Amino acid sequence: MNRNHYNFDLNGLLKKVFFVDLIQGLFITFHYTFSKTITMKYPDEETWIPYKRFRGLHTLNKNKEGKELCVGCELCQKSCPTQCITVVPMQDTTGKGIADRVAYRWEINLLRCMFCGLCEDACPTEALKLGREYELAGTSMQRHLLTKEELLAPQAVPAEFEGGVIVKARLGTDETGIKVVPDMSVQKRWW
Amino acid sequence: MLSEGAVKEINDLTGKYANKRSAVMPALFVVQREYGYVTEEGMREVANILGLRPVQIFEVATFYTMYNKKPVGKYHIQVCTNISCSLLGANHIVDFLSMRLGVKVKETTPDKMFTLSTVECLGSCGTAPMMQINDRYYEDLTKEKIEEILKGLK
Amino acid sequence: MATVKINGKEITVEDGTLILDAATSAGFEIPTMCFHARLSKLASCRVCLVEIVGQKKLQPSCVTPVMHGMEVLTESPVVKSARSAMIDLLLANHPLDCPVCDKGGECELQDITFKFGPRKSPFGEEKRRFHEEDYILSPVIIQNANRCIQCKRCVRICAETVGAEVLGSIDRGAGTGETSFVKEYLDCDHCGNCIEVCPVGSLMSRSFRYKSRPWDLKGVDTVCTYCGTGCQLTVQARNGEVLRVISKPDKGINHETLCARGRYGYSFINSHERLVTPMIRKGGTLEPATWDEALKAIKEGITGAIRNGGKIGGIASSRLSNEELYLFQRLMRVVLKTNHIDSGSRWNTGAVKTFTEVMELSRGGVSIYDALNTDTLLVIGSSISDENPVTDYMIRRLSQNKKMNIIIASPRGMKLDSSAALTLRHRPAAEGEIISGISRVLYDKNADKLNDLSGKEPLKSISKENISSLTGTDWGRIESAANFMSSSNSVTIAVGNDVLRGPSRLEFLNVLVGALRLLGKEVKLFPVFDRANQRGAWEMGVHPAMMPGYSATAGNGLGCEGILEASSRGEMDVLYVIGEDIVSDFPDGRFAEEALHRVKFLIVQDMFLTETAKMAGVVLPGASFVEKDGTFTNQEGRVQRLRRFLPPQGDAKADWEIIAAVGAAVDPSFNYGSAAGIFGEIKEAAPMYREIAFESLDGSGALIKETNRKGTDLKSVPSVASQMPAASPDPDYPFVLITGNHLYHSGRLSLRTDILRDILSEAIVEISEEDAKDLKVGKGDKVVVKGERYEATLTVHVNKRSAKGVVFIPENFTDVRVNMFFTKGEGLPRVRVLPLTGKSHGGGIK
Repeated sequence: MNRNHYNFDLNGLLKKVFFVDLIQGLFITFHYTFSKTITMKYPDEETWIPYKRFRGLHTLNKNKEGKELCVGCELCQKSCPTQCITVVPMQDTTGKGIADRVAYRWEINLLRCMFCGLCEDACPTEALKLGREYELAGTSMQRHLLTKEELLAPQAVPAEFEGGVIVKARLGTDETGIKVVPDMSVQKRWW
Repeated sequence: MLSEGAVKEINDLTGKYANKRSAVMPALFVVQREYGYVTEEGMREVANILGLRPVQIFEVATFYTMYNKKPVGKYHIQVCTNISCSLLGANHIVDFLSMRLGVKVKETTPDKMFTLSTVECLGSCGTAPMMQINDRYYEDLTKEKIEEILKGLK
Repeated sequence: MATVKINGKEITVEDGTLILDAATSAGFEIPTMCFHARLSKLASCRVCLVEIVGQKKLQPSCVTPVMHGMEVLTESPVVKSARSAMIDLLLANHPLDCPVCDKGGECELQDITFKFGPRKSPFGEEKRRFHEEDYILSPVIIQNANRCIQCKRCVRICAETVGAEVLGSIDRGAGTGETSFVKEYLDCDHCGNCIEVCPVGSLMSRSFRYKSRPWDLKGVDTVCTYCGTGCQLTVQARNGEVLRVISKPDKGINHETLCARGRYGYSFINSHERLVTPMIRKGGTLEPATWDEALKAIKEGITGAIRNGGKIGGIASSRLSNEELYLFQRLMRVVLKTNHIDSGSRWNTGAVKTFTEVMELSRGGVSIYDALNTDTLLVIGSSISDENPVTDYMIRRLSQNKKMNIIIASPRGMKLDSSAALTLRHRPAAEGEIISGISRVLYDKNADKLNDLSGKEPLKSISKENISSLTGTDWGRIESAANFMSSSNSVTIAVGNDVLRGPSRLEFLNVLVGALRLLGKEVKLFPVFDRANQRGAWEMGVHPAMMPGYSATAGNGLGCEGILEASSRGEMDVLYVIGEDIVSDFPDGRFAEEALHRVKFLIVQDMFLTETAKMAGVVLPGASFVEKDGTFTNQEGRVQRLRRFLPPQGDAKADWEIIAAVGAAVDPSFNYGSAAGIFGEIKEAAPMYREIAFESLDGSGALIKETNRKGTDLKSVPSVASQMPAASPDPDYPFVLITGNHLYHSGRLSLRTDILRDILSEAIVEISEEDAKDLKVGKGDKVVVKGERYEATLTVHVNKRSAKGVVFIPENFTDVRVNMFFTKGEGLPRVRVLPLTGKSHGGGIK
């Protein structure tokens, strides 16, 4: 091959003159500009509700009659690998629990918790479940030491809710941290 | 309170045995006769007489079925429901008595006349089905026969 | 000896060894359920079945003894499947409510099911259910009979060891359940031993109900500080709060048994009434102060007294550890140069000296198991069932399976009477006369052999009629007591500290022992004390006439009574009292109070603001038994470790630290850094402690060893002036008042524990059945007990077996100050008892 031979590329020249690559690129841009968006407007407008198997913030449950399922057996505390759970039982004859033994204290240190779910497995009465709340950032350490009363309060996402959807949400902030409030009535699949 | 006669009888019973506590069972029969059933008070009194702790009397009284721990009617009907009697229709006898007296097993009629209960073998298999009313055996039972017996008891 | 093959491993064991024990010693584990080493054998659960080669059926290993040449299989497929089936049968009616059950985590059924049990059960039937809610059986026991597996351990321990016989198994077959008579509220010892032996959660402790799982508890093995028995116990706490006391089967002489006090008398540790800072009297009231201020005040007080040549005295409680008592003695004798020290405030100091000599305490310790391995046991001077309940359990248990004649001499009836071959009901404070009577009978029968008996002269002066009328005991009974002794090869004499209360002629004990020894009997002497470290206190030299190791002092000091007398004359400049409530304990409360008012500088070191502490110039807060290190010497002479487990409350300090600080404040060279260091010095001072290693004292402790085999004879034994009340009763005051510890209380400390207060919180008066009949009163009625100077309204308890004319009021209660009935120097007071219909309660000065 003659190395001084210059092969004139008209096609390439025309592409450069008429900005074909640029137009092609911009076309994609325009296409996405006007097509349906797939990103989530989190946390301002939307939030992701995980599947049921998700392991988020713990909940202590009640049965249908509204009695506390936790009997304070301390098995969750025993099974916890990071020792972040403290349970102190007590006797209760007022009938607020399913047995006369209820938890006097049920406390968890979320800073230590690694959400392994062993406590949930150990629970003999299915009182303890790892819920679907995952926005756990806060401005104070105290916010991460949760007590029985806080965990007994129902979570925003009910246990029977299927999950795996994006729902409408509202970003709420206060001095303790950020809270994204979901509205389960408006939901969509993300794919 | 046990009557003086009963206390004397229990005291006499203790003389029959080498060991005082051996008299527990006959003493409980005395109590049952006195009160109609084995009462808490009666057990305490027996314990006192025999020098035992009340719980030791309670153990014996609850172990044996022939001591009534609850009041029974004037006539205590005990129907055998063990194997021989069952094969010959003891269950029907029980059902019939239950229907006839208007009470279930282990219950007493409102007029305190009859108590119906089922028991294990009373050793009268040859004449099954059978029942015992108070201390008497009634054997080869049929519905008609029962009807007659009950009439005789009223 | 028998050689057996267990799972192919050949071992040789004693004849009659159970297969279970043989297998355990060979290293094989056989699960058991109804078996309990120290109870009669039942073999009802069939969990311990093993296969014996050549026998068709499996045998329960807990009752089958080995035979020579036997081949046993404990892990064969047949055994494994049978065992698993037996466990399945136990579970068939057992509610699986483990998450709620308090036993969860330490349940024997859980453990063996996990290890040997089935993984699946074919039983789908409804389980037997006696009741829906747990029911309360006693102030300390709550029962869930549904969980009962019918092992009858509770029934057996209640009848065989405790002797209360209040539990029984009701009904039959699968419907059997263990409970009390018609499930009534128990009137028993409330010892909780049934809870301890229950393998499942059928009998549970009320005080520990739903408090914690066992794995969350941290515990320490220590020694009980109530009576002199010296039980080993394990104190368990969660997050620094003591939640329960248990005992372990392999620890101590008590082997899993405890009394109500030991098991439930712990909550004073966390009491909010505890003293947490030193206090100094400022302008008439006690004000909290710092340690520096308190020690400065003490230094000023003591150095001032020394400068003026004033009298300094010290009284320490016999519930302090050996180290503390030794240090106290050292502080008094070496730093403050005084012999005026005493332990306890209830007894005659002279009688104590005689007691230590006649009981041959300097000869070292006698194990209770050796002492009870005897043909005849005489228990005298102690309401042993009430004052030393676990000693009572041991006597009852050990006397069951062999021939042992128990003779009980006591004015009060007691539970152990039912195990006794002979009871001698005598008038109070007549123990010495009873002993002299027995000696006299022995002498009369064997005069030829007893020519060398020292002390036979006073014996000869004793007449049968005289003894009978003095003791109020039938001469025939005294004779038969002597006959029991002369027909035995070995005799053990257990002498309690009641002989020190109303001093009795103790020197005759020496004569009796001498006579028995001359007759070729093996005699063991066994002291019985109501305070945990009474023996240690004497051995540490906390006595005006005894140095550590029972050596004599250079000059006699004053005992408690002497100190109080000196105080009342205003001669006492400094009095240092540790852990002793003299105002409440000294037999003449009024005198003690007045005397202490005249002490110029009173230092009281205690855990609580007692009556005595309220009068102090400086109060120092001491520590409870789980907050300090040290050793205790029990009545046997067994040294056991006290272990620090919690930090003292507030600013309180271990008592030895305080004594060391007080010493250092006066003399800077008085320098002690640890309990172990002090114990090292004790070994030098008291030779009998030489072989005891502080650090390696384990579960059963170590007995002190005799150092000089110096027999005591009557010449060297000082005689005791008897203070027996006159034999002919004064018609105005027909009863003799005696006092002692109640079964549920020991001293005043136990009154600060809420569980024991639940059982009994108010003083009672115990009278004999005969007297109750005469007075026409019954259990629970109110009576007025009137002494010459004091009267009190109390609730009647009737003791069926007590002697007539004896009134017993426990010394433990604050509502009735029993020591106010006493007059110093007059011995036991006489009182009268008047029935009352009203409800008022409490004591008052007439």
